[in-house]
Amino acid sequence: MRYFLRRLGHATLLLFGVSVLTFLFSALAPGSYFDEMQLNPQISRESVAALRAEYQLDRPLPVRYARWVNSLLHGEMGFSFAYNAPVATLLWARAKNTLLLTVIATLLAWAIALPLGIWSAASARRWPDRAVSGLTAALLILPDLVLALGLLILAVRSGWFPTGGMVSLGFEKLSLLQKFRDVAAHMALPVAALVLSSLPVLVRHVRSAIAEVLGAPFLRAAEGHGIPRRRLLYRYALRAAANPLISLFGFSVGALLSGSLVVEVVMSWPGMGPLLLEAILARDVYVVIGGVLLSTFFLVGGNFLADLLLYWADPRIRAEATSR
Amino acid sequence: MSAKAENQPLLRVENIEKRYVRGSLQGSQGEVAALCGVSFSVSPRTTLAIVGESGSGKSTLALCIACLEPPSSGKIWFERRDITSLEERELRMIRPQIQLVFQDPANSLNPRWSVLEIVSEPFILQRRCDRRERQERALALLERVGIPGEKAHQRPDEFSGGQRQRIAIARALALDPKLLILDEALSALDCSVQAQIINLLLELQSSLALTYLLITHDVAVAGHLADQIAVLNGGRLVEIGEAGTVLRAPKHAVTQQLMAAATGSKTSPGVALEV
Amino acid sequence: MRPPGVSQSAADPRAPSTAPLSHLDATLIKNRGGLQLSFCVVALALLHGVIACAGFFAPYSPETQDRDSAYLPPPRLHLVDAQGHLRLRPFFYGYQARGDSFGEWQEDRTKPVSLQFFTSGPRYHLFGLVPCRVHLFGAESGRIYLLGSDAFGRDQLSRILYGGQISLLAGLLGASLTLLVGACVGTTAGYYGGWRDAVLMRLAELFAVLPWLYLLLGLRAFLPLAVSPLEAFLLVILVIGAVGWARPARLVRGMVLSARERDFVRAARGFGASDGYLLRRHILPATSNVLLTQAAILVPQFVLAEMTLSFLGLGVPEPVPSWGNLLANLQQYSVLASYWWMYLPALAIVPFFLGYLGLASALQERDNPYKIPEVSLGRPE
Repeated sequence: MRYFLRRLGHATLLLFGVSVLTFLFSALAPGSYFDEMQLNPQISRESVAALRAEYQLDRPLPVRYARWVNSLLHGEMGFSFAYNAPVATLLWARAKNTLLLTVIATLLAWAIALPLGIWSAASARRWPDRAVSGLTAALLILPDLVLALGLLILAVRSGWFPTGGMVSLGFEKLSLLQKFRDVAAHMALPVAALVLSSLPVLVRHVRSAIAEVLGAPFLRAAEGHGIPRRRLLYRYALRAAANPLISLFGFSVGALLSGSLVVEVVMSWPGMGPLLLEAILARDVYVVIGGVLLSTFFLVGGNFLADLLLYWADPRIRAEATSR
Repeated sequence: MSAKAENQPLLRVENIEKRYVRGSLQGSQGEVAALCGVSFSVSPRTTLAIVGESGSGKSTLALCIACLEPPSSGKIWFERRDITSLEERELRMIRPQIQLVFQDPANSLNPRWSVLEIVSEPFILQRRCDRRERQERALALLERVGIPGEKAHQRPDEFSGGQRQRIAIARALALDPKLLILDEALSALDCSVQAQIINLLLELQSSLALTYLLITHDVAVAGHLADQIAVLNGGRLVEIGEAGTVLRAPKHAVTQQLMAAATGSKTSPGVALEV
Repeated sequence: MRPPGVSQSAADPRAPSTAPLSHLDATLIKNRGGLQLSFCVVALALLHGVIACAGFFAPYSPETQDRDSAYLPPPRLHLVDAQGHLRLRPFFYGYQARGDSFGEWQEDRTKPVSLQFFTSGPRYHLFGLVPCRVHLFGAESGRIYLLGSDAFGRDQLSRILYGGQISLLAGLLGASLTLLVGACVGTTAGYYGGWRDAVLMRLAELFAVLPWLYLLLGLRAFLPLAVSPLEAFLLVILVIGAVGWARPARLVRGMVLSARERDFVRAARGFGASDGYLLRRHILPATSNVLLTQAAILVPQFVLAEMTLSFLGLGVPEPVPSWGNLLANLQQYSVLASYWWMYLPALAIVPFFLGYLGLASALQERDNPYKIPEVSLGRPE
C-alpha cells in the first residue's frame, strides 16, 4: 500500500511540475488568440481589450496559473477561445478516440511482439530469428510519418479501407453491429500504422530480454526436468524476463501516444492530435496546455500502471517495499 | 638540528574520525563510522604498515592522509604543519610531498593515455618545467622503476600487472615526495611479482630517503617492509608496535587472529616472514 | 524504483534508430564490428555528400515554376526508340495532355527527348560559395521531371535534394544543441552532485516524461508562428534541441559519476589538479563514446522531427523546400489519390535512417562488446 501511495505521490508531483513548465512556456508566446481579431477592422479595439480582460489574458502569470488550477479542480481546465467551450469537454471528447486507438494498438502490438520475440529468441541464429530480424530492421528504417503516409496511399489506391475519419456518413442509422464494424474498418489503418511503427522495437526488446534469460542455469535445470518447451518459454522464461518488459510497457504507452499524434493527423482520426494542431495554429493557448498535460497524464498513467504490474509480478519489489 | 629533525615524526595522526552518511531512498539510515579515534605517528625514512581486514577503514585512512578526503574530526600533522586546517591553495604546496599508490593499476592509470603522458602528468600539473625537460624526467623515472624508454609510448593495457604498478610508483615519485602511501599496492599482484616490487620499494626507500605508509591485509608483506606495524579493526587502532614484536607476540585478540591466519595460510615462496 | 536494464536505454528520445541491427548485420555483412562501422561511415558520407552538392545533382533550381507542367508523373526512361533502334543515351517522351481532362497526361511518342549528362544548367552555388553551372544531368530540350512535378510545376527531384539540405542540417544542428545541453547538464549534475544534481535530474525527469512530440509541438506553439523561413529554421532547431536533452544528460551523468571515482582522477587531484583540469583531461574524454553513440541515434530522430514539424505546417514554410513540407500537400485527398509520386520525398530519409541505425548499432557494440546490445524504444515517450 505504501509503495502504491509513494508512486502515486511521485506521479502527481510530476504532473504538477509539467503543468508549471507548460505554463512557463506559454508565457513565451508573443501573440495571443486575439491578435487575429485585432487585425479585423470590424472589431473595435475596445471590444478586443474587453475580451482579453474577460479571458484574463492581461493578468500576470502566477494569477493566470492559479485561476487555471482552480478551473482544473472544477473540471474545466481553462477555456477555449476558438470553440467557446471549456477545454476539458473538448479534450475529453477527443481523448476518448485517442485512447481507443492507443489502447488497441498497444494491446495488438504486444500480442504480436511477445510471441514473435520469444520465438526469435528461442531459435537464436537460425532462420526464424534472421527472418524476424530482417522484418524488424525493415520496419525500423521506416519512421512513423513515412509509414502512415504510405499506408494511406495504399489504402486510397486500393480502396480497401475507408481513409479518413472515424465513422462513415449515416452512422447514426446503423445497427449496433454495423456501427461496430464501421468503426473497426476506420480504425484499421491508424492501428496498423501504430502497430507497425512500434513493433520492431518491442520485438527486439522482448528478444533480448528472453535471450538473456534463456542462458540462465535455472532454465537449463528446468529443461533437464523434461518440462515441455512451450511451457518453458512462456511460464518460466517470460516470467523471469518480466521486469524489463513491464518497464518497456510503461514506455511503449508514451511512445504510442506521440506516434498517435502524427497518425491521427495523417489519417484524419478525430483524436487529440488534430485538435492540438488546430489549437496551435489558432493560438488557443489553454487547449494547447490542456492537450500537452493530458497526454502527459496518460503517459504517467501508463508508467504508474507499469509500476503496479511490477509490484504484482516481482516478489523482490514487494519484499523491498514492505521492508521499508 | 638534524638530530632533532630526525626525532620529529614526519607524520602524526591525531584522533582521526571519519563518518559517512549512509543514505537511501527513505532518507538517512544513520551514519557509518569508518574511522574512530585513530592516532599514530611515523618517523622519517621508516615504514609503518597498517594491517587489517577489508572494511577495517584502511583505505579511508589512506585517503584522509593524502588529503583527498577531509576527516570528520581530528588532525593530521605533516612535518609539524597541521594539514587538515589548510586551504586548498596552501595544500597545493604540500600535496607533492605526500603521494598515493593505489591498489589496482588498471584503475589508477588512465587507459587512454600513454605511459609517458601518465608519468608526465604531475609535472604538468605542478608546472615545473618545459616539455623537453618533462619528457626527460618522465623517462628517467620510468627507467628507475625498470620500464624501458622504448615502451614509454604504449598504453597501460599493454603492460603486465607488475609493470603497471611500477609505472604507478614512478608517477608517485615524480614530485619527489617524502611520504609514499601504498594503499594495498601489492594486493593485486602475484606472489613472485610482489617480491620484485617489494625489492624495488626497499631500494627506492634507501636511495630516495622515502617514508612509507603501507596499508595491507597481507601480514607477510607487512613483515617484509615494515619497521612498525599498526593493526586496524572496525575503524579503531587496536595495536601498534615494533614490527618484530607485533608479529611474534601479538597482544590484541584481532592481531593474534591475523597472525594465526597468516602463518596458517600458504606463504609465498621466497618471501619468508622476516623481521 | 525502476529495475535496471531496459528502462535506462528505453528512455531514448525518438529512436526508431536505436535498436542495434545485430541480425541485420548477420544477414547483410558477415563481419560485424569494425567493418560495419566503416561501411556505415562511408555510406553516410556519400549520402550527405550528395545532399551537400545538391546543386550539382539536381537538374534545376527548386523554386523554378512551370505552371503548365503541374503534376507531371515521373517519365519512363527508354533506351530503344519507336523504330526499334538502340539509342546511346536514355531518353523519355514529352507529355501532352490527354483529352481535355486537366491533369491527365500521356506520353507523346513523337517527341523523344534525350538525357544529357554534365550539362550546363541553372546557376547555383556549390557549398554556398563557388558559383557553378554544371549539373549531373539535364534534358536536351525542355525539362525532365525525373521524380515528377508538383502543383506548381517544380521539379520534385531538385526539391528533394535541396530539401534534404534543410532537413539534414536541422537534424544535425538540433542534435548538436541537444548533446551540448545534455553534456553540460550531465557533467554538472554528475561532477558536483548535491543540490545541483537533484535539481537538474528532477528537471530532466520532467522533460523525459512529456511525450516528445507533444513537447515539441507545445514548444513550437508558444513561439511566433508567422516568421521568415530563416527564423523558422532556427526556431525549429531550437525547439528540437530543447526536447531531447534529458536522456543524454542522464547518460553523461552516469559516465561522469563513474569516471569521478576512478583512481587516476584521485591521483591527479593528489598532484593538485583543479576541477577544470580533471573535467577537461580525464572525465569528459570518458564521455566521448557515449556522446558519439547518442549523436548517431539522435540525428535521424531530429531530422524526422523537422520533417514532422514542417509536415504539420509548423516548421520551415514554403517556398523553401524541406522533406517535411514537400509532404504537406499529401494531406489533400486529391493529391493522395492521383499523384503517387508526391509520396517519394518521404522515402528520401530511409537510406539515412539505415546508415545512422547501422552506425549506432556498430558504436553500441563497440562500447559493450560482451553484452547483448541494449535496444531502445522506437519513439521517445
